[in-house]
Amino acid sequence: MNKTFAIIRREFISRVRTRTFVITTLLLPFFIVLVTVVPALMMRGGNRTMNIAIVDPTNDGLGASIAAALASETLTQAPDAMKRYSIQHVSAAGRSDAVRDSLVAQTGLDRKNHPETLDGVLVLGDSMLQTGKAEYLGSNTSGFELMVQLEGSLSRVLRQTRLAHSGIDPKILTEALRGADLKTTKVSGGKATGESGAASFMVGYLMAIILYMGVVLYGQQTMMSVIEEKTSRIMEVLASSVRPFQMLLGKVIGVGVTGLLQMAIWGTTVYLVTSQRGHIASLIGVSPDVMQQFPIPTMSASLIAVFLAYFVLGYLLYGALYAAIGSMCNSVQDAQQYVAVLMPILMISFFATLGIFKDPTGGIGVPMSIIPFFSHLAMPVRWSLSEVPPMQLVLSLTLGVLALLGVTWIAARIYRTGILMYGKKPTFGEIFRWLRAK
Amino acid sequence: MSTPAVTIEHVTKRFSGHTAVKDLSFAVPAGGIFGLLGPNGAGKSTTIRMIMDIIEPDEGKISLFGSASSSRDLSERVGFLPEERGLYKKMKVLEHLAFLGEVKGMRRKDAKSKADKWLQRLGLGDWGLKKVEDLSKGMQQKVQFAGALIHDPELVILDEPFSGLDPVNLQVMKDVVVEIARSGRTVLFSTHIMEQAERMCDRIVIIARGEKVVDGTVNEVKAGFGNRNIALTFSSGKEAAERVMADRTLLERVDDYGASAEVSLAAGVVAQQLLAALVNAGVGLSRFEVVEPSLQAIFIAKVGNAGIAPANAAAA
Repeated sequence: MNKTFAIIRREFISRVRTRTFVITTLLLPFFIVLVTVVPALMMRGGNRTMNIAIVDPTNDGLGASIAAALASETLTQAPDAMKRYSIQHVSAAGRSDAVRDSLVAQTGLDRKNHPETLDGVLVLGDSMLQTGKAEYLGSNTSGFELMVQLEGSLSRVLRQTRLAHSGIDPKILTEALRGADLKTTKVSGGKATGESGAASFMVGYLMAIILYMGVVLYGQQTMMSVIEEKTSRIMEVLASSVRPFQMLLGKVIGVGVTGLLQMAIWGTTVYLVTSQRGHIASLIGVSPDVMQQFPIPTMSASLIAVFLAYFVLGYLLYGALYAAIGSMCNSVQDAQQYVAVLMPILMISFFATLGIFKDPTGGIGVPMSIIPFFSHLAMPVRWSLSEVPPMQLVLSLTLGVLALLGVTWIAARIYRTGILMYGKKPTFGEIFRWLRAK
Repeated sequence: MSTPAVTIEHVTKRFSGHTAVKDLSFAVPAGGIFGLLGPNGAGKSTTIRMIMDIIEPDEGKISLFGSASSSRDLSERVGFLPEERGLYKKMKVLEHLAFLGEVKGMRRKDAKSKADKWLQRLGLGDWGLKKVEDLSKGMQQKVQFAGALIHDPELVILDEPFSGLDPVNLQVMKDVVVEIARSGRTVLFSTHIMEQAERMCDRIVIIARGEKVVDGTVNEVKAGFGNRNIALTFSSGKEAAERVMADRTLLERVDDYGASAEVSLAAGVVAQQLLAALVNAGVGLSRFEVVEPSLQAIFIAKVGNAGIAPANAAAA
């Protein structure tokens, strides 16, 4: 047992010390911070009150309504938020072009020397109420979002004014147009969990990706580590001191622990960034609600437990197979032929989750979450989406553990013979003979 | 006599079609240096791997220290340097040695302090914190050698321990091996270099094509071969000498080195007859000496036609 532990520790330490581990471990948190903070910073740059002059040739009060509507808009929903526009309303019936030209001359000047310079001039059409036509001349016309907002504000004012002219109370219309607002909440064990359906979907989808990638990445690492041991010819010293089974176990667990550590670091980062985003926002000086656009994936304790149990189960299952493949081969290229046998199974288990999203308790979800080799992906996803009967969980875990024992037995046998085979790679017939060997 | 360190009884091992080891039996007595000799491909490494329980014999039995347990269960008492040298390239030297000690059942702390001692002893004291890949090949070999000995095993099995070493390192390792034997422990090493074996071993076994051809103490082996070897050094008339040496009624075997030769007399021939024949042929001699046969000579005599040539032919 101490020997196995020595192998686990060696594997773990030499892995954690590699540059690849350090870089990949740090890169993801860095990336998460990047996608969270940078857009917020970008938005901060665009958020200032714009100076806009309205050239108003109309005499039906439309210009005044528009000016009032625009002036009431704020940058954010917060009560103390800044105004979106600073409006200068110029009545210009009949001399629209001249007024426009004189205002345009004050547009887009250097803000430092001319604090009162205009960002743009909004020229309303003569019969805007009917045609809806208006013209905007500005230094910021390519700011797509700004233009969409401006157009939206104008449309709103136009709509209300037209309704008022037709004698319809805008409030009635707003009331009539209010759509259904369906809030989905996941129910588990007869109790509402407080998770929204969309959040469940996202958590499930993220888990499926992590489980799939985790098994493939760390499985491949186990395989490469065994191949490296073979090519560096350290194998004979180990084989004379340690049982092949202990070697296999030590190797698979060593890589697995490294993987768990890496995922723990990633998980903690995501958790910290999302839960502390208010603080982060105030640190970088943007209003907190800018960052609130990113949803917080939440996982219940039971889901985390199921996720971890199946991650360990799935990784051990495939890790042992990957290690056995590594033991048969002398180079990564050789190994691809055998990995090609595993990949379709992994792919199917991943794509099966799509069926589970559609109907968690359907004809795909239930068997897939029970059959080993698929259940490590299907069960956590199903768990995140719907209620799972305890008996099915027990059955799934039992079958998983049985499969693990069987796979380990097979892998240890292949490993035992494979690690000392150099030269040509074995045929499937030879592998079968190794399995039957005493 | 005490229990042998290694007993091999009627062991046979076949690999897809060819027989690597055939009905091999010998015993390695406890204490001293035991040489397992043979040409390349004779089955030395296969035998050692079977002793180490890395591969299992198809037939026969191998036991260590007279115990029924496999050598892996006894690995705390056995040190092993495989023929294929290999270390984890990215590991630090000291940690690597400690790890090798740990898989032999040592506690990590003990293994580390022992590793440090060995590095000092082998002149690698400053290299403990360097990575293995930063070491020269000779240094790596010393590290692996230390790895085989770190847990003070009572039986040390070394597969071609001296191949590829420079004279200085060879001397260092030879001294270590001799010291182990002197402390009453057992060293079993394989080699195809006879001079080494002759100088170091108490007992030898020579195998060829998987079969034992010679077994005994070095003195016994030499005595059994008979003092019928003559060392010659020529000063002139080499062509005439070659004609004389070609006479198979006079000489059984000739080992011609050009300016000198080691020859074995044919049955019933005495040394004087050879001397007379050479003198009559007009060969100038600066040396004519009846010598103890070298292990090299015995090896070639015993293995020459049985081992080397067919082994080469098989490889070709």
